[in-house]
Amino acid sequence: MLELSHIDKYYNAGTVNEMCLFQDFNLTIPDHQFVSVVGSNGSGKTSMLNLICGSIPLDSGHIRMNGKDITRLPEHKRLRSIGRVYQNPAMGTCPQMTILENMSLADNKGRAFNLRPGTNRQRIDTYRESLKTLGLGLEDKLDVKVGVLSGGQRQAMALLMSTMTPIEFLILDEHTAALDPKTAETIMILTDKIVKEKNLTTIMVTHNLRYAVEYGNRLIMMHQGNAVIDRADEEKQKIKIDEILAKFNEISIECGN
Amino acid sequence: MKKSLSALLAAAMTMSLLTGCVTIEPAETTASETPSTEAQADASSAEETEKAADTAENEGQDTASYTIGIGQFAEHGSLDNCREGFLAGLAEEGIEEGKNLTVYFENAQADGGTASQIMTNFAAKNVDLICAIATPMAQSAYSVGQKNDIPVIYTAVTDPIAAELADADGAPVGEISGTSDKLPVEQQLQMIRAILPDAETIGIMYTTSEVNSESAIAEYKAAAPDYGFTIVESGVSSSADIPLAADTLLSQVDCVTNLTDNTVVASLPVILDKAAKLNIPVFGSEIEQVRIGCLASMGLDYIDLGKQTGRMAAKVLKGEAKASEMNFEIIEEAAFYGNTKVAENLGITFPDDLTANAKEIFTEIAQ
Amino acid sequence: MLTTIIGVLEEGLVYAIMALGVYITYKILDFPDLSVDSTFPMGAAVTAVSIIAGVPPVFTLPLTFLAGAVAGCITGLIHVKLKVRDLLSGIIVMTALYSINLRIAGKANLPIFSQETIFDNAFLEGIIPPSLAPYTVLIILFIIVLVCKILLDLYLKTRSGYLLRAAGDNEVLVTSLAKDKGTVKILGLAIANGFAALAGCIYCQQKGFFEISMGTGTIVIGLANVIIGTQLFRRISFVKATTAVIIGSILYKACVSIALSLGGAIHIGRVTISIPITASDLKLATSVLFLIILVLGGRQGKKVKNHA
Repeated sequence: MLELSHIDKYYNAGTVNEMCLFQDFNLTIPDHQFVSVVGSNGSGKTSMLNLICGSIPLDSGHIRMNGKDITRLPEHKRLRSIGRVYQNPAMGTCPQMTILENMSLADNKGRAFNLRPGTNRQRIDTYRESLKTLGLGLEDKLDVKVGVLSGGQRQAMALLMSTMTPIEFLILDEHTAALDPKTAETIMILTDKIVKEKNLTTIMVTHNLRYAVEYGNRLIMMHQGNAVIDRADEEKQKIKIDEILAKFNEISIECGN
Repeated sequence: MKKSLSALLAAAMTMSLLTGCVTIEPAETTASETPSTEAQADASSAEETEKAADTAENEGQDTASYTIGIGQFAEHGSLDNCREGFLAGLAEEGIEEGKNLTVYFENAQADGGTASQIMTNFAAKNVDLICAIATPMAQSAYSVGQKNDIPVIYTAVTDPIAAELADADGAPVGEISGTSDKLPVEQQLQMIRAILPDAETIGIMYTTSEVNSESAIAEYKAAAPDYGFTIVESGVSSSADIPLAADTLLSQVDCVTNLTDNTVVASLPVILDKAAKLNIPVFGSEIEQVRIGCLASMGLDYIDLGKQTGRMAAKVLKGEAKASEMNFEIIEEAAFYGNTKVAENLGITFPDDLTANAKEIFTEIAQ
Repeated sequence: MLTTIIGVLEEGLVYAIMALGVYITYKILDFPDLSVDSTFPMGAAVTAVSIIAGVPPVFTLPLTFLAGAVAGCITGLIHVKLKVRDLLSGIIVMTALYSINLRIAGKANLPIFSQETIFDNAFLEGIIPPSLAPYTVLIILFIIVLVCKILLDLYLKTRSGYLLRAAGDNEVLVTSLAKDKGTVKILGLAIANGFAALAGCIYCQQKGFFEISMGTGTIVIGLANVIIGTQLFRRISFVKATTAVIIGSILYKACVSIALSLGGAIHIGRVTISIPITASDLKLATSVLFLIILVLGGRQGKKVKNHA
């Protein structure tokens, strides 16, 4: 369960450029829900993710994770139970390290990074197995540096790595936006599979309305720091792309776009 | 790999060409730099690896020729004079550059790392003797010389005992000896008392990183009460601190005296300018400082010091003595240097007994 | 010629230890750490003082590493906790250490000629046969460098080492792994400055004295070593980066030595080429060499930019 209550967030507070992003914003995400978030640029989608993860501070309000107040918890501590995949495929992996080393790193999340061997030899077969599920042939390239892989391959790895250890929440920050349509599709199917397998509470920000409609069991449309559409479960099933598109256009005209 | 390696070597070559220039000239014109006759050249190369001492017995200079390396720690008037004097001292003993002497000269520009590199290179060139000017250079030379059996003669080392180049009795710790440029502190204080009968405080500025300055200060502090003075010291860490430190110091003292502190000496014009405005006399520690505007000095003549060092080196080269058998030497008698122009500006007249024995009196302030 | 080669190897190996540290900060962490300019002489100061106080020379090695590590931590803390820019935190510590080094040593120049060192002691005289005596220093240096290199290689393969590499490669991932990237940086700086101080310790024992000016330009030498090494061997995958850095150090010193010996005149038949390059030109020569290697080597590997 993730609760955002009475969130206020201003950018450039106290200057002429002051911009209000959130004012008394509230959102509750129950366990095992897969939320798709859409909205125009600047509507506060990514800022919301950053607030949840602790990448940016909030001005007032509270964030609770499973009832525990994490408002003041630093980013790296929150990420212990959160997996996050970024828009840029390079952000989820280490380009100078090999696939095996990257997998080992991810496998170690939540444990001590001490002087024991970085790669546990007994785990290699497990890594191979999970890489095989990607269907990209990465299981045969364990000693290849991740930097030489394509964006899609890296993003697939990033997804795999962020969900490797037991986590409760998965944050997907436009994670298919930088990929070609074909690869994006593959990654999206993979995401859905992992989320279902591990039963993760997921927040996915996307610009692809079709993904938003097709995947997940809740859909939120953000506009000026508010959820203008918020449908879950059966209501969400009934939603059609055209309806979303219509609302989108309405908002855009309102903004003078 | 091969390509990049060759590129690297090419780079090294280009670099040397960039920083220098190549001149091609007939061999005759450079004869002065190299041994004058073919025979001598052959002799020198044949004997290169041998100790010069072995060849020196049969009245050395006619047949023997020598190669020495001079390493100077920093670019600095007094140290330059040392080098000049050193070569002059060798020449007095019949060892002359261009005739029977090849000199490699390098300046470390006050960089400790470079100093040791220079010494390693001298060792590689198989020099017969290393002349090291100033303390860090002498220490670098000692560790290299000891390993490669090359005798070292140093100069401008203020305290060879503290630098562990000589033991407590002044005897060398190995094949190393030379001359010390220890300041004649007592004589300087005596002179200041003679010129300024009413002065009570003397200011001294020094750099905290120069070990010689610290020992000199200690000596001044110990001797000052005997002449009725109090010493006010002011330590700086770089030349950038000097203007401010000078202002503070000058407000507290009746006069200022200098050490051979490299940083302070290099910034002396700044101090002299400020002192002149406040009518405060500044005493120097050697001739160059008096030349550029210090009132007076009981100082060392670094050329003389260099000559004395050169004569010691000649003994070692000719095999008349070993460096390990000679204790380091100091100049016993300091000489008086005065600047009458500065005295006139300050409204001071030098006592006659000082001027009568003066080594040199300047009537102008050199710029 | 042999003297030159031994000299170059000795100088190169001493600086190689420092370069291993610079490799961590510059290559792995992507942190331009200037504090090594002062941790190098700090190692020498601690060594000289300890040896004079009667500490067995071998113990000065871990001792100086520790001292350097503390200094590195301070650079790291200033950068991470006080949010001072990387370059500036290095400069602050470098400047402060200058005074601290003087405090440690008590004065600007502290000789230990008369003391036993790791290169010159009764034990060694007993076991090294006279025929090997000229190579004693070289052999000991080689062993120390080898041990440092192997330890660093092993460390970089531990979990902690992985995290350190990740921190330089992609800070965001370190956060994603629920680790504080600041702590990792501090750790890296501590190790790097530990190596720099260790190099200073060995340098001091080899040369026989501590001198406050001995650290001038250390970082430039370190960077040059790392860049020469890694650029030369970047296409040869079986040469480890640490090995490359050590070879780079030796090559760099070789270049400096060549530059120095070129000074003077070369006689080819009746033609004399005089090259007026002296030690005074050394810094310029170093910079030019450095620049050429950088340009020839092309651009550095791209790092992930943090925009989260």
